[in-house]
Amino acid sequence: MFDQLASLFRSLAGQTGLAHFWWGNVLMIAVGVVMVFLAIVKRYEPFLLLGIGFSCIVVNVPGSDLILPGGLFNYAYQGVSLLIVPPLIFLGVGAMTDFGPMIASPKLVLLGAGAHLGIFVALILAKMIGFSIAESGAIGIIGGADGPMAIFVTMKLAPHLLPQISVAAYSYMALMPMIQPPVMRLLTTKAERQISMAKIREVTRLEKILFPIVIATLVNLFFPPVAPLVTMLMLGNLLRESLVVGHLAETAGVTILGIMTLVLTTAIGSTMRADTFLTIRTLQIVGLGLVAFVFGTGSGVITAKIMNLFLKEKINPLIGSAGIASVPIAARVSHIVAHQANPRNYLIYHAMGPNLAGVFGTAISGGIMLALLGVH
Amino acid sequence: MITIPDSLHGALLLSVIDFVLSFFIISGIGVILAVLPVVNRFWKIDEEKLRRGH
Repeated sequence: MFDQLASLFRSLAGQTGLAHFWWGNVLMIAVGVVMVFLAIVKRYEPFLLLGIGFSCIVVNVPGSDLILPGGLFNYAYQGVSLLIVPPLIFLGVGAMTDFGPMIASPKLVLLGAGAHLGIFVALILAKMIGFSIAESGAIGIIGGADGPMAIFVTMKLAPHLLPQISVAAYSYMALMPMIQPPVMRLLTTKAERQISMAKIREVTRLEKILFPIVIATLVNLFFPPVAPLVTMLMLGNLLRESLVVGHLAETAGVTILGIMTLVLTTAIGSTMRADTFLTIRTLQIVGLGLVAFVFGTGSGVITAKIMNLFLKEKINPLIGSAGIASVPIAARVSHIVAHQANPRNYLIYHAMGPNLAGVFGTAISGGIMLALLGVH
Repeated sequence: MITIPDSLHGALLLSVIDFVLSFFIISGIGVILAVLPVVNRFWKIDEEKLRRGH
């Protein structure tokens, strides 16, 4: 009788997740808990980290079948891998974004290219440690600090690396307030950080309406590989700036963006299963992603310093790091570091120019990369 | 069609071409943005009218 009962309980326990627990699950659950902690306690990009962290915890509980066909996380991941979610995120971002600071400061768009050296440093290092050139390109694009674009390029070049690359891209974007400031301080003097910048001009409604039409036309003409994303960004922006479809702009910028963020973050977190995620390759990609962010931040600051050699009216080199993209996190970091050096400095509007240009910089780099590698 | 070789040399080539072209193209966007205010001389939009729905 006792033996029968013990065997019944053993069989019952074998059907729960407990029997399949291993240290990898514990480690990944701890990673998820840290993300949720950072989101709630430290307020580090809670919109991203809360969903990623929570689903990372859940999928690492053995027995969880949310990522199997029939599970909701599985369908969320399909939306990402079929490239449905990234363009819809861009639609929402476009509807939420005022491109005025970028339109008003044409010379600062150069920082949107300058802050992307990290893409190429990571690409070359990835090739050196044995990744294929397509995989290296996908890893490099982490340095573009643009989540939807990183997903898009990865799905074209190395879809098998999507979990690692999307996790690295979104995690580093959320952790930019920790990654960027030391690099920015290292490369600038206190006097440079204290530079104040003159107020930028007002942009007319006509310019704001023409901007998305012109850019969408040019991108479709010259960069068809990345046109699906940029076109949606510009459509969202046209909805906003036209002023005639306020409810559509609000739906795109609030409702659609909210739903897509939820789908995207749970999908990304659900890829962080210990059995597939805890590999040397993941560590290499995560390491290369950090290198890309550090070099991107540094090259943006240095590009701004080089520009200062030629400009009569100096710019604060801290806005250079915002050119890495990651709207508006990087612009906020530029503003905060400048404000710490000079409490009368309000650089947020100035930093938004290169920050928005960084989105185009990443799209251009990604588009050229896809074209050079013969991918459409 | 010539493609980039899957080697370190290819990675360097891809990086240099991409980085330089990115600067060139984004400069082009800068030029377009710089000339955009010219349109204000020819056409004005009444924001209030737009907000009111004409």
